[in-house]
Parts: sequence; C-alpha cells; structure tokens
Amino acid sequence: MGILNLTKLLQDVAPIAIKESEIKNYFGRKVAVDASMCLYQFLIAVRSEGAQLTSVDGETTSHLMGIFYRTIRLLENGIKPVYVFDGKPPAMKSGELGKRAEKRAEAQKALDKAAEAGDNAEIDKFTRRLVRVTKQHNEEAKKLLSLMGIPYVDAPCEAEAQCAVMVKSGKVFATATEDMDALTFGSSVLLRHMTFSEARKMPIQEIHLDKILESLKLNQNQFIDLCILLGCDYTDSIKGIGPKKAITLINEHKSLEEVLKHIDTTKYPPPDNWSYKEARQLFMEPEVQDPETIELKWTEPDEEGVVKFLCGDKQFSEERVRNGIKKIIKTRSGSTQSRLDGFFKVLSSTPAKRKIDDDKKNSSNKRGKMGGGGRGRKPK
Amino acid sequence: MFEARLVSCAVFKKVLEAIKELLNEASFDCSESGIQLQAMDISHVSLVSLMLKSNGFDKYRCDRNITMGMNLASMSKIFKCANNDDTVTIKAQDDADIVTFMFESKKQEKISDYEMKLMNLDQEHLGIPETDFSCVIKMPSAEFARICRDLSQFGESLVISCTKEGVRFSTNGDIGNANIKIAQTSNFDKEEESVTIDLQEPVTLTFACQYLNHFTKATPLSPQVQLSMSDNVPLVVEYVIPDLGHIRYYLAPKIEEDEN
Repeated sequence: MGILNLTKLLQDVAPIAIKESEIKNYFGRKVAVDASMCLYQFLIAVRSEGAQLTSVDGETTSHLMGIFYRTIRLLENGIKPVYVFDGKPPAMKSGELGKRAEKRAEAQKALDKAAEAGDNAEIDKFTRRLVRVTKQHNEEAKKLLSLMGIPYVDAPCEAEAQCAVMVKSGKVFATATEDMDALTFGSSVLLRHMTFSEARKMPIQEIHLDKILESLKLNQNQFIDLCILLGCDYTDSIKGIGPKKAITLINEHKSLEEVLKHIDTTKYPPPDNWSYKEARQLFMEPEVQDPETIELKWTEPDEEGVVKFLCGDKQFSEERVRNGIKKIIKTRSGSTQSRLDGFFKVLSSTPAKRKIDDDKKNSSNKRGKMGGGGRGRKPK
Repeated sequence: MFEARLVSCAVFKKVLEAIKELLNEASFDCSESGIQLQAMDISHVSLVSLMLKSNGFDKYRCDRNITMGMNLASMSKIFKCANNDDTVTIKAQDDADIVTFMFESKKQEKISDYEMKLMNLDQEHLGIPETDFSCVIKMPSAEFARICRDLSQFGESLVISCTKEGVRFSTNGDIGNANIKIAQTSNFDKEEESVTIDLQEPVTLTFACQYLNHFTKATPLSPQVQLSMSDNVPLVVEYVIPDLGHIRYYLAPKIEEDEN
C-alpha cells in the first residue's frame, strides 16, 4: 500500500512539507476521504474485546460503526467529508494484489495453527491480517452515508487518484487517507490520521505537495519517478536502492530512463520487464471521473432511515444512533466561521533563515522521532 | 545590537496578557521604527497586529532589523517575575539566539536578568488592505469586555449590528436569547466613558464569542476600544496603548451557510 518509506524520506529531507495540527483547525474544509482505506481501518480497529462487532446473524458491523461515529466527529469539527470508493483495481495492480492474496493465505494458515495451539494473542493477530473490505461492506457503507446525508463518489478506478483530481480542481481542500500515493497522483494536500479515533489523540498530519517538490527540487514527473523507484503498488522496484539512494539518483539524472543508463545494472539489477513506464503513465493519467461532473451536496440526514438501517438486526443502540443524528442536525444549523486568509493575501512567508542550519543540528534528534512517526503506517 | 527600555514594565505585562491566549509563539520584528508583531492564531480565524513605537520607549536602539521568535508562555513566566514598577530592558545581539530581559527595581537595589532562547518560526505576513469601514464604534473597553463576557454565556456567536440608533449585541442559544443595546452618549464630559458611532451605512455581522473574549484581554491597556466593521470583511478591534502604540485584532466573520 502506498509508497515505500516515503513518509520517512520526507521527514528527513522535506520536514517543512509536513505540518501537524489539531482536527478542529479544519473547520469549513471539504475533504475527500479515501473510503476503502478508512473502512479497512474501521474493520481492524473498531472492536469490542478483540472481536469485530456483528449483527445478530454474525455479519460484521464494525465498518458501519466507524463510518457513523467518525463521520459525526468530522462534522462536529466543521469538516465536510465526501467519501470516495475504489472502483476496479488497475490491471497493473494485479501483481501487488496477488502478493496480498498470498499473504492472506499465509495468515490463514498461521491462524489455523494458532487456533489449534489455542494461542489467543496469535489468533487475534492473524484474524486482523485476514481482514479485507468486501463489496458488501462498501455497499452498506454507501447506504449509510446516503442516509446520513453525506455525499460519496464512486471512482472508476483507484480512489486516491479520484481524490487527487478533486483536490487539484478545487472541489475539496484535501485528500484524507493514510496512503502516501495520493501525493504521487498529485493531490496538493494530504491529511493523515483524519479518521482515527479521538481517543488516540493523534494530531492530523498535513502534507503539502508543493513544499515537497520545492524541498526535493523536483517537478511532479520526477517525483513520480522517485516514488516508483521507492516502490509503489504497480510495479517492482530495484533491489538495493533505498530512499537515500533513490533521491540522489533522481536528483542527479532527473528521470528513470537516465537513472537506468547510469547505474551499474549488475550491482542493482532492475526487475525483469520492469514496467515503470506504465506505472508512470498510471500516476500521470489515472482513470478518473471528471471532477466538474461531480456535485457534492450535504443534505439533511434521514433519522428514521438510519435508525431502521442500524438498529434492529445490526444491533446498534437506538438511543445512541438518535443522539448521533441529532449531532449531525446540529452541525447543519448556524453559520460557518470564515478564515482570515480568505480576506487577506499572504504577502510573504519566511521559513526563518536560520532554520536550515538548525535542521541540520537537530537532524539526529529528528530521526529518533521518525521511528515513532512511522508507526501510523498500516501493517499491510 | 538591539536594546529597548521601558521605565514601567506594567505595560509590557499587559501586552503579553493581551496576546498570549491567542498565540503560543510569535515573532517580534524589531526595527528602527519600533517593535512589531503580526500573527494569526493557529486556526487562521483571527490576527493580532501589535505596534510599539520606538519613540514610546525610554531608550531604544536597533542597529539592524532583527526578528525574535519567542514562546509567549515562557515570556510570560519571565514577566511574572517582575514587579509592575520595575524598569525593563530588552536586549539582544544581532543574529543572537537568545534575548535578555533585565528588570531593575524602582530603587535600583535589585537587578534581575533573564535569558530566553529564541525560536525559529515560520512566518506568514498578511497584507491587510486599507478599508473605509461602514461603521466605526468607539466605546469604553470595560463595557465591551463585559458585553462579550455576559453574552458568551448564552451562545457561541455574537451578532453585532450597528445602525444610526446605536449598536446592538445579541446572541441566542439553547436557553434563550440575549440582547444588549448601546446608544451614543450625548455627554462628552468624559471622553473615556463616551460611546460614539461613525456610521456610513448600517452593518450586521456575526462573530465567534470565543475570539472576542480573547481580544478583551487587552482591556487593561486602554480605557477605550474601537470596533470597525464593514459587510463581509473582518472586524477590527483596536486598543490604543497610550504613548506607545496600539494593538489591533482582526476577526473573520461567521458567514451564513449557502446551499453547500
């Protein structure tokens, strides 16, 4: 999932591109949420006593719980979410998907073994690895969203790519996902940890693409090449080339073609039939729906509809659901706070001149912190 | 070399109180003309613009323009150590990474030095266009503070509407509505207690109480406050710091939700 080690690389070489702030500072912002990513998170994280929440006939409801409460949390913070669902996976992802299927099969085996041995910690670990977002999860989530009055978009292909074009066209402010390849697809702003539970107290990470490109001295195409070299979902990368080496190579040679010409291919053999050109093409011109044809409308929630859908068989508490709906209705009344940047123009922004040497001084420290930062990554 | 000296540090303490709730840290730009600060709060809803003119200080020297990034909580700790009638001297070398605050007691028998590390802060300077405001209200600052405090108990938003009859502050919330109307005063005996309204056209705007309550922390700096409003532009709340300069707050209005 995403781009291998990109977060870590950015924290090292472009710390200025990553800002941390609280969720409440995003009031009034429209945000495209990568639905598959957050459904997956919910399936993993929303549990009670280690087991997924289920309806009377054992169907999982964790994703619905997540969608319901976390969306309310976004709304209460004044954020207007639009969920973007994955369409069909691009053909090039089959390799990656195959690998994931293999891992899942392994996890299944390990799970069976653990179950035999009766090792609960292991069982828990491997059941989580087996989690996948199914079509039914998606459909149920969509149904709940429309009942809640929240818009969603069906991407023709990758959701991150669809989010990115929506950000680029100004339809929404940012993409909310944990997946760094939203940046590779050209999403100008990426928000991480947006749909995390409040209890985790994770600050929102705001990553700006323009600042990344500026700090790395790359243009978007070179950045795409860098991401492919780091390792993306669509094709293999060259063994032995890590983040540091990748950035040096791209800076020096500007494109993968040139990199290939200049590196010692016996030492760093590129994968057979390396389809980096196709991967690049996919990042540059992904299959997306024209953002101009998308109409985003946040409407009144259908209280009875939500109650009917969630309570009863799905075993949600009616009282809590109704309270939740009340919260949604409350966020819809009243006026919205505007921002000063809307009225006044930024004349100059000075990232204090001493900053550069300072960063060098602190770099050893920073690296220490980075290990912690990386933990937000999904184990996939 | 930068050096600025004020015989009474009370003013500086009040200035700090007036900004430290909105800003965690801020860059003070020091130049020949004085000390300036311009910064938005973290959510970019309000902006503080502070000007302390060099000729208002008892001694002022600034050889090169310097920007000092300070943590306001730390600064406030330091100023808590000083008495109101102490003389304060702020010193920094060019390109220094520390600033020194020196407090001298009135009788000169006690001198305390505090050194504070400076910070590197990202700065965003906003260009604030000159605006001819539709209405400019001057009123006693304590009265304004009282109104904001009282009304914020009822709701999150405060509506300020200004007509030729006077200014109406109103709010509504779960328990009900509250309205306060202030008329222009006809008696001009005491300028400090008067309410004057300079009106081109009536204006009604809505603001978040929370921010107004932060602004009124500047009340001790000045007996009068000036509110300037125009449709669809930020409110300006200005406190004049006698002999020294001013502090201005800008607040983005709340706007009615259009159909998404």
